[in-house]
Amino acid sequence: MFQYTLRRILIALPAILGVIVVVFAMVRLAPGDPAVMLAGEFADQETIERIRERFGLDRSMPAQFATFVGNLAQGDLGRSTRTNRLVTEDLAQFFPNTLELALGAILVALAIGIPAGIVSAIKRNTWVDAAVTFVALLGVSMPVFWFGLLAILFFSVELGWFPVAGRGSFAHLVLPAITLGVSSTAIIARMTRSSMLEVLDQDYVRTARAKGVQARSLIAKHALRNALVPVVTIGGLEFGRLLAGAVLTETVFTWPGVGRLLVDSILARDYPVVQGAVLVIAISFILVNLLVDLVYGVIDPRIRYD
Amino acid sequence: MKRLARLGFVLLAALTLTAWASAQNLVIAQGTDAVTLDAHDVTDSPTASIVSHMYETLFELMPDGSIEPNLAVSYEVSDDSTVWTINLREGVTFHDGTPMTAEVVKGSMDRFLDPDNAFTFRFLLDRIDEVVVTGPLQIELRLATPFAPLLAHLTHNTTAIVLPSAVEEFGEAFGENAVGTGPFQLDDWDRGSRIDMVVNEDYWGDVPAIDGVSFLAVPENTTRMALVESGEAHVAVRVPPQDIARLNAAPDITVENVSSLRTIYMYFNHTLEPFDDVRVRQAFNYAVDKQEIAEFVLGGAVRPSDAAIAPGIFGYTDVGEYEYDPERARELLAEAGFEDGLSTTLYSPSGRYLQDIQITEAIQSQLAEVGIDATIETLEWSAYLDKTREPAGENDVPVALLGWGTVTGDADYGLYALFHTSQHVPDGSNRAFYSNPEVDDLLDEARVTPDPSVRESLYADALQIVRDDAPWLFLHSETQLVAVNDAVEGLVIHPTERVLAWNVTVSE
Repeated sequence: MFQYTLRRILIALPAILGVIVVVFAMVRLAPGDPAVMLAGEFADQETIERIRERFGLDRSMPAQFATFVGNLAQGDLGRSTRTNRLVTEDLAQFFPNTLELALGAILVALAIGIPAGIVSAIKRNTWVDAAVTFVALLGVSMPVFWFGLLAILFFSVELGWFPVAGRGSFAHLVLPAITLGVSSTAIIARMTRSSMLEVLDQDYVRTARAKGVQARSLIAKHALRNALVPVVTIGGLEFGRLLAGAVLTETVFTWPGVGRLLVDSILARDYPVVQGAVLVIAISFILVNLLVDLVYGVIDPRIRYD
Repeated sequence: MKRLARLGFVLLAALTLTAWASAQNLVIAQGTDAVTLDAHDVTDSPTASIVSHMYETLFELMPDGSIEPNLAVSYEVSDDSTVWTINLREGVTFHDGTPMTAEVVKGSMDRFLDPDNAFTFRFLLDRIDEVVVTGPLQIELRLATPFAPLLAHLTHNTTAIVLPSAVEEFGEAFGENAVGTGPFQLDDWDRGSRIDMVVNEDYWGDVPAIDGVSFLAVPENTTRMALVESGEAHVAVRVPPQDIARLNAAPDITVENVSSLRTIYMYFNHTLEPFDDVRVRQAFNYAVDKQEIAEFVLGGAVRPSDAAIAPGIFGYTDVGEYEYDPERARELLAEAGFEDGLSTTLYSPSGRYLQDIQITEAIQSQLAEVGIDATIETLEWSAYLDKTREPAGENDVPVALLGWGTVTGDADYGLYALFHTSQHVPDGSNRAFYSNPEVDDLLDEARVTPDPSVRESLYADALQIVRDDAPWLFLHSETQLVAVNDAVEGLVIHPTERVLAWNVTVSE
C-alpha cells in the first residue's frame, strides 16, 4: 500500500510539472498586458514601462520562467502584480474557503444522492423512480447561477431564513453548499441507481435472498457495498470538479474562494496568482484522485495494489 | 473556544436581521473588494471609496466642484507660479498616534513621486521638482514650470498623506496595514469578502456619529441588490437600470441618481479613412439619437453630452449637443462621397461601463438607418486596452467606445490627455490621433495660467473647437445609481465615483 501510494505520487509529478509549464506559457500568450491593465485608461507609455520593470515583465520569457521555477523550488510563488500580496498568503486564505464550500456541497450530494439512488433502484419503474429521475434531470440541467439567485430571492429576501451572501457562520454555508451540490447530487443519484440495479441482479444477491436474508440487511450489507465502488469514483471526480469549478457559486454568494480569485486574476493578467491558483487546483485534483483509489481498497478488499 | 464563540455570535447576528443596524455600523455593498490599502497605489473607484475613509488628502474636492483645505489649511502661490507654499493643519495624528508634521508630508510626497515605486497616478504630481520643508507645519512645492491644475491634483485620492515610518515598518505588507489620518481606521479585512472599519476617536475633525463602516465585495448585481432588500446592507452601488423601479417601490429604499465625472464616447481613428473627413465624423454624430439611448438603453440614468467633459468639472461649458438629425447625416455623408453609405467596425467592451455593449448595439441599428453598415467587435477588457493603444500605422481600430473619468474635477485632466497632439497613443491617451494646433495652444496656455476665469474661457474655446471637429461620437456622462436605505442620512455619493460615510447617521 505504501509503495503504491508513493508510486502514485511520483507519477503525479510530471503532470504537475506539465501544468506549471502550460499555465506559465498560456497566461503570457493570451493577449493583454498586465502593466496596461494596472495602469488603466489613464496611463502614458512611461508609466507602463515603469510598471513593467517593477514586476520584471520586461525580461524575456525564459528568464521569467527560470526565476519562477527557481522560486517555486523554495516554496515562493511570488507576489501578486495587482495587490502586491504574497501569492502563498492569498492561497492560504482563499483555498480553505473553497475547501469548506466543496466539502459542504459534496456532503449535500452524498447525503441526498445515495439514498435517492437506492430508493429509486429498489422501487424501479414506479412513480417514485420516475420522480427521482425527473428531479435528477432537473438538477443536472439547471444553471447554477439561476438556481443560486432564486434561492437567495426566496430563502433570504422573502423568508429571511439565511443571510444573502458572504462567509462566516454555518447559516452562510447552507445556500451555497446546496446550490453547488445540486448537479453533483443528481449525478450521484443516477450513478447509485444504475450501479444498485446491476448489483441487485447478481447471483449472490439472489442467493442471499433465497437464504431468507431480510430486505433491509440485504440492501445495506450485501448490495450497497459493492454498488458503492463506482459511486466513490464519481463522487471523487465530482469533488475534484467542485474544488476547481465553483466560480459561479462563489460569485453569486460572494464566497471568497479560489475560483473567484482565479477569475479576477485572469482578468487582471495577474500572472503569479493565476500560476499559483492553477497549481493548487491541479495538486488538489491529483490528491483527490489518489484518495479515491485508496478508498477503493477499504470498500472492496478484492482490489489490491501490489 | 474563541472561534466557536465567534461562530455562535455570527450565527446569531445572521439570524437577527437587524443586527447591523442596531450596532450603528453602516454596511455598503460594492461590486469588488479593495485591491490594496496603500493609498498611493489605488487605481479603481471601489478601492478609492474604501481608502478615502482611512486616508486624507491635503485638499478636498467637494461634491459641488469647489476645493476646500483638508490636511492643509491654506496655500500661497509665488508671483511666477512656480512655488506653492502650503500650511498644514495643526493637531492631526495618524491612527498609531504619530503626529502629522511637514517632514511626514514631505516623506509621503517623495514616496509618491519616486519613479522606482511606479505608481500609476504619479503623473498627477510629476511637475513638482522638489518638496521642501520650510517650517514644522509648512512645505514648499517647487515646480520647473507653472502648472495651474496642481491644486485640483492635490485633491486626488492617490495623493493622500501616508506615514513614511509605517511604510518602512510594514514593507511590502503596507498595502494591508492602513495607517492614515482619516475618520475611520482598519479593523478587519476578510479578503474577497468584506472590510470593516471602526471610528477613529482621535480624529481632528468631527468624529463620525456611527460606530463603524463595512464594505462588502459583491460582484453579482442581483445578490448586491438582494442585500439592501433584505436589510443586510444599507447601501448598494451600481444599481442595474432595470432594477430602479422595483427598488424604489420598496417601502424603505430609495435609488439615488448622482452625476459622475465620467464621460462615455466613441472615438474616431483619424489615421484611417474615412474618419479623416470631418463630414463623416459629424454625420455619425447626427445619425445617433443620444436621447433615445439614454432613455431606453439606460433607463434615463445618464445625461447626453453637450461637451467633451461633464458638468461639475472646472472648465466645463455647454457647447451644444449634436441634435438627432438623420437627414443632415445623410447629406454630410453624400457630400463626403458616401451617398451609397459606408461600412465600418465598432469596437466595444462588454461589461466595463454601464450597458456598454447594449449602447453599441443601439448605435449600430441607428447608423444602419442612414446607410452606415457597422459590425461590432467585442474584446475582453485587457485585450481591448492593448489593441486600442497601438501606435499610428499599426492601429486598425476605426471606432471604439470608451469612458473617461475626470477624477481631479479639472478640465486639464479631461482634455489634455485625450486631445493634445503630444498625447497620441501609446505615449498618452489620445486614441483618436486627434490633432489641432489651435486646441494644443489653448490647452497649453490653460495649463500655465493661474487666473481661474481666464482658464475657464480658454477651455470653453477648446471645447467648442473639439465639438465642431467631432473627433468623437459624443454620447453621455454617466450617473451613479446607488440604492440607499431610508434610515441612512448624510451619505455622500461623490462625483468622483466614491461613496463616503464620513457624516452618516443611521436612525433606528
